[in-house]
Amino acid sequence: MKLVTPKKVILISALLTLLLLGVILLAVTLGSVRVPFRLSIQILIQSIMGGNVSGSDTEQAIILSLRFPRAILAGLVGAGLSISGAVFQALLRNPLADPYILGVSSGAAVGAIAALLLGLSTASLGLPLVSFLGALITVLLVLTFGRQDGKIHPNTLLLAGVIIGSFLSAIIMFFISISQREELRTIIFWLMGDFSLANPQTLLTVFPYVLGGCVVVYLQARYLNVILFGEENALQLGVNVERLRLICYLFASLITAASVSVCGLIGFVGLIVPHGSRLIFGPDHRLLIPASGLIGASFLIASDTLARILLAPVELPVGVITAAFGGPFFIYLLRTRKTMKVL
Amino acid sequence: MRIFPTLVLLLLIAWPVSAPAAHHLVDEVGRPVTVPLSPKRIIALAPNVTEILFGLGLDQEIVGVSIHCNFPEKAKTRTRVGSYISLDFEKIVSLKPDLIIGTGAGNTKDMVDRLEKLGFSTYIIFPKNFDGILTSVRHLGQVVAREKEGLVTVRSMESRRQRVINLTRNLTRPRVFMQIGEAPIVTVGRGSFADDLISLAGGENVAAREERMYPRWGMEEVLNRLPEVILVSSMNPKGNYEKVVQEWSRWKMIPAVQHGRIHLMDSDLIDRPSPRIVEGLEEMARLFHPERFK
Repeated sequence: MKLVTPKKVILISALLTLLLLGVILLAVTLGSVRVPFRLSIQILIQSIMGGNVSGSDTEQAIILSLRFPRAILAGLVGAGLSISGAVFQALLRNPLADPYILGVSSGAAVGAIAALLLGLSTASLGLPLVSFLGALITVLLVLTFGRQDGKIHPNTLLLAGVIIGSFLSAIIMFFISISQREELRTIIFWLMGDFSLANPQTLLTVFPYVLGGCVVVYLQARYLNVILFGEENALQLGVNVERLRLICYLFASLITAASVSVCGLIGFVGLIVPHGSRLIFGPDHRLLIPASGLIGASFLIASDTLARILLAPVELPVGVITAAFGGPFFIYLLRTRKTMKVL
Repeated sequence: MRIFPTLVLLLLIAWPVSAPAAHHLVDEVGRPVTVPLSPKRIIALAPNVTEILFGLGLDQEIVGVSIHCNFPEKAKTRTRVGSYISLDFEKIVSLKPDLIIGTGAGNTKDMVDRLEKLGFSTYIIFPKNFDGILTSVRHLGQVVAREKEGLVTVRSMESRRQRVINLTRNLTRPRVFMQIGEAPIVTVGRGSFADDLISLAGGENVAAREERMYPRWGMEEVLNRLPEVILVSSMNPKGNYEKVVQEWSRWKMIPAVQHGRIHLMDSDLIDRPSPRIVEGLEEMARLFHPERFK
């Protein structure tokens, strides 16, 4: 494995950050209502700087209360899911791994749908909280059943996760079959992943979990590189493999749980962004993790912007866009790179 | 020819029951139906059908209803034969109905075909707007031999509608946003019952140009249209109306928010094509033009 130099990490991260800023600006200027490009940027910059803000009340609200917080939320979730996906792929040594493979998403879904059927509104903090709890309980259950002799074996963990996920899917189907037409619509949008369900206030509550989780995971990047060469090697090099796996599993799951609890199950991002980044930048996690995060953020913000404007004023669930654009792009990467370096 | 008696027997079983005591009709989706002259055991497959039939005075004859049928109160005492999407065919057979009435809006063609194959005479109504409801009431009056009662209902609905039209004539139409989904925000487009009601009640549906019946809008589009009245359909019985109003209060630039004109409406009165829709119409007119309905 070719390792990267710190200089390269910083350079590429800086470039990707610029890309991300560009995508955020684009997301803020585009929408179903036409706000002139320059005015949108002015409103955004003036409000960040403080002082007088141009534009009408409606234009200000559209830029500052709708588009900007939504872009930030999409970016946060995109980064979180991509980083979590990269970690799961390394942890499970499985190219099919994504943030949802161990059932975290199903746990979150059971929580969200139960909250919905109990009458908690999606806008309030109740639903994300119950959903988050559902996800955390699932994480602990999978850990309990996926460990043998107190040790995490990737394959056992994978099996436990998949099985618990299937079991939870049965509960989801049961809930769906007993729900009313009106609840059904919200449930389906939630399962497809949709940012309009999230309240801007929820942004502040997921922020610490996602950001904190990403930082903790990034600190393990060096050790994640080592376990790619096999457990034996890692042990010889003095890496505490058990502890590493536990930390990675818990924090990657935490990031996923916080992300899905506010905007539902947005598919594909956590699978294709880490793969794509690996194909472009190589497998060194010190670069792969920040690159996946920044690309994932840009990708999800761009997808959400498309979801808002493609059929405007009608909005599409963002999950439709991520799957529609992510799939073909990934196939293209695979074809042009010929060989797929999974790890 | 040992097979011959069996064939005769099969034919006898499959033959439509007792032709003389029946009349031949074509239902609202264009299917020919043979209906008994005075049906005694009727199953209603949708809430609006149930409401129309009880309105025609068929208390004794209605033996089965769907799980969605919640009005009138008596409907809840009848046997439940399943939901729109899944009928309980065993229960239907066990009730031995001589007439089943469904709706083109909820029951699928497969279901109706299956009921037909089971030998039940099945009549489908398919009202698409206020006028369509009047037609359906008239049709069902004929189908169940209660023509006179049907006409009484139709006349009363017509005159109540006329009163609303007269009272709101020449008034400025407020821009109305109808919210039928809390998250995501879903509104009503052209061709929906609520859209028809809004314009009959003297309002202007801001989403009237949407071709989808129930388009899902982004919030910025709502801000852009600046509705003067927001109607929230009580889509979810457990939904929290205060909460919805509170959510809207963030958007001070919307006239409906400034003037406190956010109102909750019973969804059964606006999207269920039954005679009670005229109550929904009157309530809307009151909310749009309070000065005329003191």
